[in-house]
Amino acid sequence: MSTSGASREAVIEIRNLSKIYRDFWGRKKVRALNSLSLDVYKGEVFGLLGPNGSGKTTTLKLLLGLLFPTEGEISILGEPASNVSKNERIGYLPEESYLYRFLNAEETLDFYGRLFDMPASVRKERTEKLLDLVKISHARKRQLKEYSKGMTRRIGLAQALINDPDLVLLDEPTSGLDPLGNRDMKDLILDLKKQGKTILMCSHLLADVQDVCDRIAILYGGELKVLGRVEDLLKSQNQTQILSSQLTPAALAEVEAVLKKHDASFQVDHPTASLEELFLRTVQESKERPGHRLVTPDSKSQAG
Amino acid sequence: MDFDPTPFNFAAAGINWLLIVGVCLGLMTVVSLLVMAGSRGTRGLTMWTDEVGLMASDLVSLSPRRIFALSQLTFREAIRRRALLVFVVFGILFMFAGWFLSASTLAPEFQVKVYVTFVLRAISWLILPVVLLLSCWGLPEDIKQRSLHTVVTKPARRLEIVLGRMFGFAFVGTIVLVVMAVVGGFWIKRQLPAVAQEQLTCRKPVFGYLAFKDREGNDAAKGINVGDIWEFHSYIEGATKARAIWTFINLDASVLDSDGNLRLENRFQAFRSHKGDMKRALYYQYVLVNPQTGLRVPIPLKTVNEFRGRTDIIPRKLGKVAEASPAAADEAETAAAYDLIDDLVSKEAVVDPETKNVIYPAGTMLVEVLCIDPGQYLGMARPDLFIRTPDLSFWVGYVKAVLGIEMMLILVVVLSVTASTFVKGPVATLLTFCLVIIGQTAREFMAKIVNNEEAGGGVFESIYRLVKHMNPTTDLPEGTATTVMRFVDSALVNLMWLVYNIIPDFSFFTRSLSYLSNGFDVNVATAVYPGLAITLGYFIPCVLLGYFCLRTRELEAK
Ligand SMILES: Nc1ncnc2c1ncn2[C@@H]1O[C@H](COP(=O)(O)OP(=O)(O)OP(=O)(O)O)[C@@H](O)[C@H]1O
Ligand SMILES: [Mg+2]
Repeated sequence: MSTSGASREAVIEIRNLSKIYRDFWGRKKVRALNSLSLDVYKGEVFGLLGPNGSGKTTTLKLLLGLLFPTEGEISILGEPASNVSKNERIGYLPEESYLYRFLNAEETLDFYGRLFDMPASVRKERTEKLLDLVKISHARKRQLKEYSKGMTRRIGLAQALINDPDLVLLDEPTSGLDPLGNRDMKDLILDLKKQGKTILMCSHLLADVQDVCDRIAILYGGELKVLGRVEDLLKSQNQTQILSSQLTPAALAEVEAVLKKHDASFQVDHPTASLEELFLRTVQESKERPGHRLVTPDSKSQAG
Repeated sequence: MDFDPTPFNFAAAGINWLLIVGVCLGLMTVVSLLVMAGSRGTRGLTMWTDEVGLMASDLVSLSPRRIFALSQLTFREAIRRRALLVFVVFGILFMFAGWFLSASTLAPEFQVKVYVTFVLRAISWLILPVVLLLSCWGLPEDIKQRSLHTVVTKPARRLEIVLGRMFGFAFVGTIVLVVMAVVGGFWIKRQLPAVAQEQLTCRKPVFGYLAFKDREGNDAAKGINVGDIWEFHSYIEGATKARAIWTFINLDASVLDSDGNLRLENRFQAFRSHKGDMKRALYYQYVLVNPQTGLRVPIPLKTVNEFRGRTDIIPRKLGKVAEASPAAADEAETAAAYDLIDDLVSKEAVVDPETKNVIYPAGTMLVEVLCIDPGQYLGMARPDLFIRTPDLSFWVGYVKAVLGIEMMLILVVVLSVTASTFVKGPVATLLTFCLVIIGQTAREFMAKIVNNEEAGGGVFESIYRLVKHMNPTTDLPEGTATTVMRFVDSALVNLMWLVYNIIPDFSFFTRSLSYLSNGFDVNVATAVYPGLAITLGYFIPCVLLGYFCLRTRELEAK
C-alpha cells in the first residue's frame, strides 16, 4: 500500500486556500478558488481534475508563488510559496510552454540549467539526456518559434526536468501530444514515480489520469468536490459483483471457502465505473447541489 | 563655455544621496507597513516581517551565473528580434548628413565644432530612444508572454531578473554605441576638410589668474570698460603703463610642448578708438616675469588675430628685445640669454615680509601683456590667455565624450527597467521619457521653486494671488488662512524637494561635449566620474525598487 507511514509525508500542504482575481482597481472579478485544502504526499502521483475554469491552473500558480493567495496557507516542500529557494527542487510544466521563442532547444535547456546554477559540464550532460528523453534531438538547433505544438510541449517538459526535481508540477502534460507522445508521457510519469519523485498533474484526459494517478481531486468552480484514491473512488460501494457466472451470494462464501480450501486462484471484486462516469457525475451533482461536498473515504480522513 | 569646470563635489553628493535614499526607504517602509497592517491586521505585520526576511535572503543569495544567463538572454532577444535595425537609420543619416553639413566656408575650428557636435548629438539622440524603448518593453513583454513564468519558477531571484535585464540592455546599448562611435569617428576624419584636420585636437590649457595695472601703472582689479554692455572683457590702453598680468602657478618643464617651446594661446580683442594703421592688426607684447628675482624678459611683438585667436610659440631659450617699444617688431633679439624654465619660473615662494603671507608660491611665472599702439585698446578676460601644454589626441577627448554618453545610456536603461517592473511598456516609456526630458531641461526651474527663489510663494499662495489679482511681492494679510496656506505650500515644497532630488541631472553627461567640440581636453574627474557617480547613485536604489515591485506583484496580472 502506498499509504504506509513513511510515504505519508506531505510534500504539499494546502489549507483553506482561496483566490479572488481582482482587476486593476482592486474590484473583485472572479473567485477562482474557495477554501481548498489538500495534501500531496511524497512519492505519489496526484491528479487535479476539473472542468475548464475550475481553478486547477490557479492552484498550481499559487503553489509556485506566481500568484498570491487571497486567504489560506501553502507549504510546499516545507517552505512558504513565496520562498524562491524551494524552486531548486521543483520542476514546472506550464499550461502552455511559455518559453523564449527566439532560443533553440539546446540554448533553452542550457539557459534554464544556468538558472539552477549548474556548471557547464552538468548542463551539457542533462541537455543531451533530456533532448533524447523527449525525442527532439533532431530539432535541437531550430528556434522554438518554428516548433509545432507537440514539439514545444516536449521541450517544455524537458526544461521542467532540467534540475532532476523532487516535485514535478505538470499542467495538462499530454495536451498537444500525439498518441505516441501521450504514451511516452505516461511512461515517463510512472518512471518518475518509480524514482521516488512526487508528481502533481492537472488534466482533462481522464484516461491518462486513470492510468497514472494514485490519488485524484476533482475541482468544480474553485471548490474541492472529490478527493481520494483512484481505485477507491471508482469502486461502487453498495454492490458486489462476482466475476463468475451464476453464483448466489450465499453460495459465494461456500465457493470462497471451497476455493480457499482447494487453494485455487479466484477474484472477488467490486465493479469499477470508468473515471469518465465519476467525473461527469461529480460535475452534474455539483451543478445541482452547489456547496455540497461528495464524501469519499479519503476526504473523511483529510478533514479530521 | 565655462573654462574652469566646477568640480563635482563627491562627498556632498554622497551625503545628499544617503539622505534621499534614506527618506525614500523610510517612506516605503512606513507605507508598506500601513498597507499590510490596514488590510490584514496583526497577521499583516508578521507577513511583512517574513517578506522582508525573504527579500534580505534573496539579496545575499545572488548568483553571478544566473545574472549572466539572464543578461545574455536579454542580449540575444534584442539581437534576434532585430532591434538593432537602428544601425540602418544611423547609417542613412550619415550618408546624407555630409551634404547638409558642408561648412567649408567656416573657419576650420568651427567646422570641427559643427562636425563633432553633430556626430555626438546624433549618436546620443539616436541611441537613447532605442535603448529607452527596448528596456521599457522588455520586461512587460516577458510578463505578457508569460515566458517570465518559466523563469521565476526556477530559482532565479527577481532581483537577478532586474539585474539581468539592466546588464543585458546596457550591453546592447554599449555595443550600439561603440559601433556608432567608431563609424562617427571615421566619418569625422573622412568628411572634415584637410584644413580643419589639424584642429582635431584636445588642448590642455593651464589657466592663470588675471590682474591689471591701469595707465598710470597702479594695481587694478579691472581694466577699462570700452562700452560693452556685457562687462566680461576688460581693456588695456596702448602705449601707456596699462598691463594685463596673468599669474601662472605650478609650472615646470612639463608644460612645454614636444619641441621644448612654451605655447601661449590667446584670444585678445581689439578695440580701435581711431583708424591707426589699418594695414596691420594691433601689436601686443608679452613680458615674462620671474616674481622671485624680478627678471623681466620681453618677447618680440605679435599682432592680434581677432575673433580666431592665435597660439604664440615662445622658445625655451630666450633673447631679449626692447620692452613696450614698436621697434620690438623688427629689431633682432639678442642672443639667447635666458632659460624660460630655469630663469623665469620662481624657485622659492615670495613672501610678504610683514604679514608672512605667501604672495607667489614657488613655480610661478607672470605673463604681462601690453598693447603697443597708442590710443588703441586690447580686451581680455581670464580665459583669454592660457599656457597650452602638450595636446592630447582628439580621440582621447572623443572617447571621454562617448563615455559620457555611455553613462547616460546606462542611466536610461536603469530607469527604464525600473519603470517597467511596475507599469506596462507604454506607460514605462512615457515615464522614463518624461524623466529624461525634465532632467535635461526643467531642473533649474525646479531648483528655484525648491529654494524659494520664485516670487509669489507656493502653489496655493500663487493661485490665491492670481485669483485676487495680487502682485507677487505684496504682503499677504496675516491670519490663520494664510498660515494654513503657507503650511500646505511648504509641505508641497518638501515634496518637490524630493522630486527634484530624484530626477537625475542629465547635464553632467554631456559636459565634455562642449569642451571637445571647442578643441579642449577636460580631465576625467570632470568628464566621466560625475556621470559615473550619478549612474551608480541611481543604479542602487533603482535595482532595489525594481526588485521590490517585481517581488510584490503577481506576474499574472494583465
Ligand atoms: N489572470 C486572470 N484574471 C482573472 N481571472 C482569471 C485569471 N486567470 C484565471 N482566471 C479565472 O479563474 C478561474 C480559474 O481559472 P484556471 O485557469 O485556474 O482554470 P483551469 O482549471 O486551469 O481551467 P482549464 O482547464 O481551462 O485550464 C476561471 O474562472 C478564470 O476565468
Ligand atoms: Mg488550466
